[in-house]
Amino acid sequence: MNALLLIGSPKGKKSASYMLGSKLADGLRDHGVTVHEAIVHQELRSEEKTGRLLDLVDSSDLVVLAFPLYVDSLPAQLTRFLEQAVGRGDRVTHAGRPRLAVIVQCGFPEAHQCDTAVGICRRFAESTGLGWAGALAMGMGGSLGEDFRKLPGGGKNILDALHMTAKSLAGECDVPDEAKSLFARQLMPRWLYTMGGNLGWRLQMRENKAKRPIGYRPYAQG
Amino acid sequence: MKALVLDGGRECDLLTPVAVLEMISALGERMDDVELVPLRERAIAMCTGCFGCWTRTPGECVQKDDAREVLRSYVASDFAVYVTPVTFGGYSSLLKAMLDRCIPVLDPRFTVVGGEVHHRLRYRRYPKTIVLGTLPSPDPETERLFTSLVARNGLNLHQTFEAEVLVGVTDPASARRYADQLLDRAGVTA
Repeated sequence: MNALLLIGSPKGKKSASYMLGSKLADGLRDHGVTVHEAIVHQELRSEEKTGRLLDLVDSSDLVVLAFPLYVDSLPAQLTRFLEQAVGRGDRVTHAGRPRLAVIVQCGFPEAHQCDTAVGICRRFAESTGLGWAGALAMGMGGSLGEDFRKLPGGGKNILDALHMTAKSLAGECDVPDEAKSLFARQLMPRWLYTMGGNLGWRLQMRENKAKRPIGYRPYAQG
Repeated sequence: MKALVLDGGRECDLLTPVAVLEMISALGERMDDVELVPLRERAIAMCTGCFGCWTRTPGECVQKDDAREVLRSYVASDFAVYVTPVTFGGYSSLLKAMLDRCIPVLDPRFTVVGGEVHHRLRYRRYPKTIVLGTLPSPDPETERLFTSLVARNGLNLHQTFEAEVLVGVTDPASARRYADQLLDRAGVTA
């Protein structure tokens, strides 16, 4: 089986999306799947690169989109790539039926805030003749660092969900419901996440030596 | 009263230009000032996810392109109208690129809206938002998804957005009727 991991975050390999997606890719490789990886915004820089990536989509058995929630939806870069894939709809459809799976995380605590983005990916799959394998969605993405072991509980729920999903997808099955539920489980109480987040913005401002107050209004009238 | 219209139509799009023209015409009869921004003609880079607009230059994106002027105009408007081809239940990538660049109008600190966590508002007032989508043929699931996306976007700005999807509408008279109905619903009066 050939799989393609598409990272939809503009932060590329420095992103939480890559952290999650590459862990799933490792799990797929452990089950004998050949996995290619691509950072979508880098492949949009020329028609040639985009064309090559679309060819890779055509020749894959499984495509995994890993992205952060931007304004309740997919980042614009990923939306543009999907538009281009539909522009070549015949090729995608006629080359067989690659299946599409999704990993999405948002910066709010509630995983259900990702539902519209998952729905959009599903409609894309249905529009292009791709099979729909399901989605893992989580909130509190702002707490994902570079190391799962630093997460509350060592990130066990996330890692278990990714392992389960890798095994299932490698066996040509869908994302298991148990994995969806584990992945969506809150990493910490909501009050703690929001308090830590609010403090985090201040700390980043200090690191960046921001000269304006956090609530500055550059476009205010009068 | 001012309205800002963000046109997310692509070059090859046949439906969205009719929707845009008729929306502009309907707004023109109710507003003193209507500004149209055809996004395909503007240099608007995609958000890089750096959060510089919150933690480096609060309220302003670190990328210096046309998005800054669009945001300035947005904050000064009474109504913002998005017109877009419905794309898998979402917005076109052109409109989405601009919306991703709108996060500087929010304050990064968290608050609770409708039982969910969202960001605080940066400004005291925001334009009332109206969304007009176009679809070539009936597709109830895509329409439902689009409507729920628009509703979720409303929560981000602590308001209720008004939305309508024009299905297969190519004649100006029908597009105008839908535009008027939508503006009536949104409370846009002359």
